Amino acid sequence: MRPKPATLAGLVVTLAVAAAIALIPFALSNYHRSTGADVAVFFVAILALNIVTGYTGQISIGHGAFMAIGGYATAILTHDHGWNDIATLPIAAICGFIAGVIVGVPALRFQGVYLALTTFAVALAVPQLAKNYSHLTGGTEGLALPTHTGMWLYGVGWAVAAVMFAIAWLLLRGRTGRAFRAVRDSEIAAASSGVTLAVYKTVSFGISAGMAAVAGSVYVLVNNFVNPDVFGLTLSLYILIGAVVGGLGSLWGVLAGACFIQLLPIALTTGSVGSSQSVPVVFGAVVIGVMALLPLGAANLLRVALHFGSQWRQHSDTPLGTEGR
Amino acid sequence: MTKRMKAALVLAVLAVAAAAVSAAFAASARTPGVTAKTITIGGTFPLTGPAALYGVIPKAEAAYFKYVNSKGGVHGRKIIFKYYDDGYNPANTVPLTKKLVEQDHVFADYGSLGTAPNLAIRGYLNKAKVPHVLVATGDSYWATQAKVYPWTIGFQPDYPGESRVYGQFIRNKVPQAKIGILMQDDAYGKNYYDGLIQGLGPAASKVVDVEKYDATQTDVSSQIVKLKAAGANVVAIFALPTQTITALVVITKIGWHPTAFINNVSASPLFMALAQKSGANVDGDISATYLQDTINNPKTAAAILYKSILKKYDPGADPNDANNLYGVASAWTLVKALEDSGKTPTRSSFMSALTHMNWKNPFLYPGLKMLTTPKERFPIDQQILEQYKSGAWHPFGHVFSKAR
Repeated sequence: MRPKPATLAGLVVTLAVAAAIALIPFALSNYHRSTGADVAVFFVAILALNIVTGYTGQISIGHGAFMAIGGYATAILTHDHGWNDIATLPIAAICGFIAGVIVGVPALRFQGVYLALTTFAVALAVPQLAKNYSHLTGGTEGLALPTHTGMWLYGVGWAVAAVMFAIAWLLLRGRTGRAFRAVRDSEIAAASSGVTLAVYKTVSFGISAGMAAVAGSVYVLVNNFVNPDVFGLTLSLYILIGAVVGGLGSLWGVLAGACFIQLLPIALTTGSVGSSQSVPVVFGAVVIGVMALLPLGAANLLRVALHFGSQWRQHSDTPLGTEGR
Repeated sequence: MTKRMKAALVLAVLAVAAAAVSAAFAASARTPGVTAKTITIGGTFPLTGPAALYGVIPKAEAAYFKYVNSKGGVHGRKIIFKYYDDGYNPANTVPLTKKLVEQDHVFADYGSLGTAPNLAIRGYLNKAKVPHVLVATGDSYWATQAKVYPWTIGFQPDYPGESRVYGQFIRNKVPQAKIGILMQDDAYGKNYYDGLIQGLGPAASKVVDVEKYDATQTDVSSQIVKLKAAGANVVAIFALPTQTITALVVITKIGWHPTAFINNVSASPLFMALAQKSGANVDGDISATYLQDTINNPKTAAAILYKSILKKYDPGADPNDANNLYGVASAWTLVKALEDSGKTPTRSSFMSALTHMNWKNPFLYPGLKMLTTPKERFPIDQQILEQYKSGAWHPFGHVFSKAR
């Protein structure tokens, strides 16, 4: 790849953000650290959705279900089998990957709204399964897990997020990422250029679901509780909203999207301005505003800042990380 | 970047160690949430979402605290009540509870509503030794698991205790009973089912059929038809409000006339009126209560006080909504516990007061007592049966005590 000025700028920004994320918890209270860990959870979840929806162009409104799979894997292994919390994360990723590949199969035949509905069904079905197999999952009463300090949660949450970000970056910058984007932009063109649609679509779903499952695991560790209500339909919708607000097809917008869906509802629910009733209204207004004014999401703001408005329209050949759709 | 984050993780681990050490030294003598002039408590409630119907409860509780504050508070301290909307979703309850404890520094988590939300925060609050009290749910864990979770205590009669009363009544008063049971297929339904079977004792053989439904299923007609076909003349409905209303309507539509028992949390006058509007004949149905009957006896001192508090501090609240009365009765209990916790309450003295109740709560049904010991932690253990007649519930018979 030909180096571009934005690559250097991107690297500087990456390091600056990473340093900020690493240093912030020392200035925070225990409560805000665990809120920060929640942001890390949604960072990973939105990142996961971005791989399949933003980069490969396959719509999913079922990512809450993949989070549920990871969350239950962690909860069951630690609660019933005495596993170490961290050791459950790879297992969660594998379970999520398998589930994602299975869901990816219909994606070979369905497109657009039909695929969206299929994943929607998954989002509805998985919590029901958890209710049904209550001897394993604790049913509606759920499973309670040991508590951790805010610092532990923040450290684990963002370490996981960093690993996932690195995986996503390595995956998307090279051959695989190009194939994903080719599938997104034109399946016929991609197939005629030698991209095997079946492989790339299912792999994309698998990797995305595996990451979402890891996000679900950390979510359960942060909440130290799991039951089917935790992974309801709203969770899937929140992740999609976060991805849209942050910018589909952009790795940078993920952070903005995660902050938006995690911090805004808490601020409105517990703050002196607004109330919990206003959360849906604010969400709706922001999504409409973003769609109208910044169709590429918050990430596009960064692009504008980085390029000083000079090249921002040529997003088709801008380097990865500031990519738009 | 990964390296950087790993370094951050190492730093984070070191910081945890440092924080733990400093916390050990900083064990403060002052009780969180208590100042010379105020005492701060907090809880989580569904102001929005599927259970928003219960959102009136914290407002009624806040109204009672305002009333107490207007009389000088408790031992000269005004009560500050912070409550947040968790939408009945435990994923929201956890961060909001952490905020209450760690940012708002509440003295106790009070009255938080819902079984799953409370199960989600129980471990955290007990580890932090924060009182988790008068939770608004009728499962029996709050009392039966007190050894593991000593900082948690409930309020209302537990579900098995309630259905034991139905069982005892059927055993003694309905000798020719053939019992059919409609129950939700989860812990909620099972709690009721187990209690009923215990209460029936030897009469448990009179159960002719048990039909289950999944909580997400709202149409229970086929179950009702099967119960009728099994020849039942008594039907016990252990369901959520929607399914209960459907069941009552279907029973009338298929020309069946059993004696119906309806669990307390689905027997609100509001739901009975809805069933009636949809064509159900609900006269003669039986349920149980533990609160004052402010509808039939509006002239008692408690009823007058209750209505005046709502009118002044929670205008717009419907005094006939049983949830408001529930809130005021619960808030009375919290205030009484604070009074009994000594001039300078601590979290331990507060828990001690809650586990040594011997109180007459004016908002409970006359004659009922709140009784607890460190080993017997069901605050309300008595209730009375009630029958629905001409648009209202009418308590009858004697108070069932120590139903367990």
